Amino acid sequence: MQASGGGAGGAEDRDDQQSSRIPACQSGSGSAEGEAVRRAPQGRGGPGRGRAVMEAAVARPQGDTLRVPFQSPLEADMARRSLLPDAQRHQGLIRKEFAVNGSDLLVRWTADDLAFIRLSMNPFLDQLSLVIRNIRSLGLPPRQSRS
Amino acid sequence: MPAVLGFEGSANKIGVGVVRDGKVLANPRRTYVTPPGTGFLPGDTARHHRAVILDLLQEALTEAGLTSEDIDCIAYTKGPGMGAPLVSVAVVARTVAQLWNKPLLGVNHCIGHIEMGRLITGATNPTVLYVSGGNTQVIAYSEHRYRIFGETIDIAVGNCLDRFARVLKISNDPSPGYNIEQMAKRGKKLVELPYTVKGMDVSFSGILSFIEETVFAMLVEITERAMAHCGSQEALIVGGVGCNVRLQEMMETMCQERGARLFATDERFCIDNGAMIAQAGWEMFQAGHRTPLSESGITQRYRTDEVEVTWRD
Repeated sequence: MQASGGGAGGAEDRDDQQSSRIPACQSGSGSAEGEAVRRAPQGRGGPGRGRAVMEAAVARPQGDTLRVPFQSPLEADMARRSLLPDAQRHQGLIRKEFAVNGSDLLVRWTADDLAFIRLSMNPFLDQLSLVIRNIRSLGLPPRQSRS
Repeated sequence: MPAVLGFEGSANKIGVGVVRDGKVLANPRRTYVTPPGTGFLPGDTARHHRAVILDLLQEALTEAGLTSEDIDCIAYTKGPGMGAPLVSVAVVARTVAQLWNKPLLGVNHCIGHIEMGRLITGATNPTVLYVSGGNTQVIAYSEHRYRIFGETIDIAVGNCLDRFARVLKISNDPSPGYNIEQMAKRGKKLVELPYTVKGMDVSFSGILSFIEETVFAMLVEITERAMAHCGSQEALIVGGVGCNVRLQEMMETMCQERGARLFATDERFCIDNGAMIAQAGWEMFQAGHRTPLSESGITQRYRTDEVEVTWRD
């Protein structure tokens, strides 16, 4: 995650916002990428500190990954196929990549500016929540859920 | 006898409809209404749609007396419209299509209006005036395309009326255009200059009558020009602004002068609704159109003439 000169807000702010917005999902936890993002960037705090954080951030891969557990690989893939077609809408500013790992849906954001990721995540979580509610309310047909 | 389920939510109305062989079996709808003096923004509108869409789906199935097994195709609005609301509806359509293992169809919103107008009125080959908050086009069918003969060069006529209502803080319930129309009916004096002061009082209905007369006359003129060009004997008004009785009167006068027939639908179908998407989807489904999931992304700009209308001669 590259820190721009003015900084995109404190890491503490971002952590608070993250934890209050994602009750059921984990954001990049346990992965090096996730750790890097949570620490960076802190634009304030003086030039020396900022530079150190920037160096640490640049040394690691950019991006942030969300891991959403589902009941089955089928459901996770269903959610992926529902959400993917509209994910390319703002390709220029931000990139979203989807993958399914077991019963987990993985969504990875990549952008030059942390602010864009934050702006993209909120609406995405709303759409994801709708897909989850949709699957729950209609339920998988018996033969499909047996996988 | 295919039955098609249609989802529509490109602006502030969210609707789910069911159509089978030319019959509308269900068409529930909700409108996101904002306080006077405000318009509806994409994020809030999408939030509104997400909150009610699953209930609307159940309502539609119950009203139609059908289950998932009776549905043959899932149609949804691919565009044009506002991004976030379009996405909110599209993700549900995709999820339902996967859960029920049914083919998916992305429908052009304008064509939804046209196909519902044709179904309900029985007009055979009309020149279409499509007027709403988001669109203003004069359309004629020719060789498998709905050709755009004329359109607004900036904002839609409904947008003009909505913005005017916003300035005057006219209520948005049920819609700003409806309230403008009611107030304009009470206007007794059509004034050239929209400035009406009586002593300590002011009168705004004269201004609204002025606005309506002027913008509607503009629409009548371009429709007439298209009809003359095509040698058309039928005109069809679709879109929310088509509910306006004054517009219908003015169009009727023009049609009578030409010996042509005017068609219009009531507020159930001229205002955005799910059944119109289902109806266009039904035509497309019968003609063999399908939208693969990978190509089902929404698009805010989607011109009426981009679609190949293979279901008409």
